[in-house]
Amino acid sequence: MLKAKVILVAIGVALAVPQAQAGSTPEEDRKETVEYFKQMFPDVAIEEFVNGQYALDEDRRSQWESMQDFPPYEFAVAEGQEMFETPFANGKTYASCFENGGIGVRQNYPYFDTEKNEVITLELAINRCREANGEEPLGWKKGAIASISAYMASTSQGKPISIKVPDDPDALAAYQDGKEFYYSRRGQLNFSCASCHVQNPGKWIRADLLSPTIGQPANFPVHRSKWGELGTLHRRFAGCNNNVRAEPLPAQSEEYRNLEYFLTYMSNGLPVVGPATRP
Amino acid sequence: MNKPLLTIGVLLALSVPLAAQAGPKEDFNDLYAKAQSTHKDAGTFQWTVTSDRLEAAKTAAADGDYEKAEAMANEALKLAEESVAQRKKQQEAWRNVAIGN
Repeated sequence: MLKAKVILVAIGVALAVPQAQAGSTPEEDRKETVEYFKQMFPDVAIEEFVNGQYALDEDRRSQWESMQDFPPYEFAVAEGQEMFETPFANGKTYASCFENGGIGVRQNYPYFDTEKNEVITLELAINRCREANGEEPLGWKKGAIASISAYMASTSQGKPISIKVPDDPDALAAYQDGKEFYYSRRGQLNFSCASCHVQNPGKWIRADLLSPTIGQPANFPVHRSKWGELGTLHRRFAGCNNNVRAEPLPAQSEEYRNLEYFLTYMSNGLPVVGPATRP
Repeated sequence: MNKPLLTIGVLLALSVPLAAQAGPKEDFNDLYAKAQSTHKDAGTFQWTVTSDRLEAAKTAAADGDYEKAEAMANEALKLAEESVAQRKKQQEAWRNVAIGN
């Protein structure tokens, strides 16, 4: 009888341990996600996913290509460069806060700061740079911050996105939180980010053609025709939440930064193409 | 018959049900507080439609229209309860659809 009990307990432990250890690594998630989209769109080259809906629909693509002759974000990028290079009151510039003077670094954002135990997005780094130099922070969603971010992104165009999740439980937790947010249904319409961008990319939702998960953050900040101006990724997050009647969270909240961390990791290896245009 | 005593007795008898019955303002305040706290309990799963109803309830109450205020607060409470249920369900349900789980 005792023997039987020991055997049962041993079987239980043997079954429970792999269960507890289950859960894929960020890199396993990314590879599986890329494979999923490759199977969903076998005719689309993987690098093309950074162009979102323009990679999936010929009509939209041809409109976009015409628009690229005179991209509507050009003036904002020029303004962003001017602001980036203009010294603060203390004589320093943004370049003093960033690796390589802030040129060609977009592909490394967001990153996990293991000392502060938080995800640092490019926009957060821009505003922290301002505050460290005695300047007032900028609004998060549009205007000056989007222009500076767009200029910085433009210096990284073509560089492969390179997000790292360090071997650190807090970093992994931030990544997992972002993943949970992406796949959790929200709002009265009961939609998750994945409902549209994993399960239904390439399909129309009213007048919007849904883009796939991978490549999404590569083109931000983005000039949307709907906005008539540049906006940041967190502005878009808030808009998506609002569309499904979920209360948007504040831009640069921990939840949105973790979401950006997960989402950008999924695009690792794809080129930065921001700033870009979208309908 | 002692007339003053009878009058006092009648007045007291009439005031009992009035005292026991809360006014529309108090009813609304209780309902609103419940709706608001349930909405808060939804955390990052709050719904915009709940916020809209709460706002409409507050405006109607400020205008003294407690009938409308109560109706809006009732709707807000129902919506908030659904959002809390969604939050609880999604704690596990997201794993069933996530790539890489």
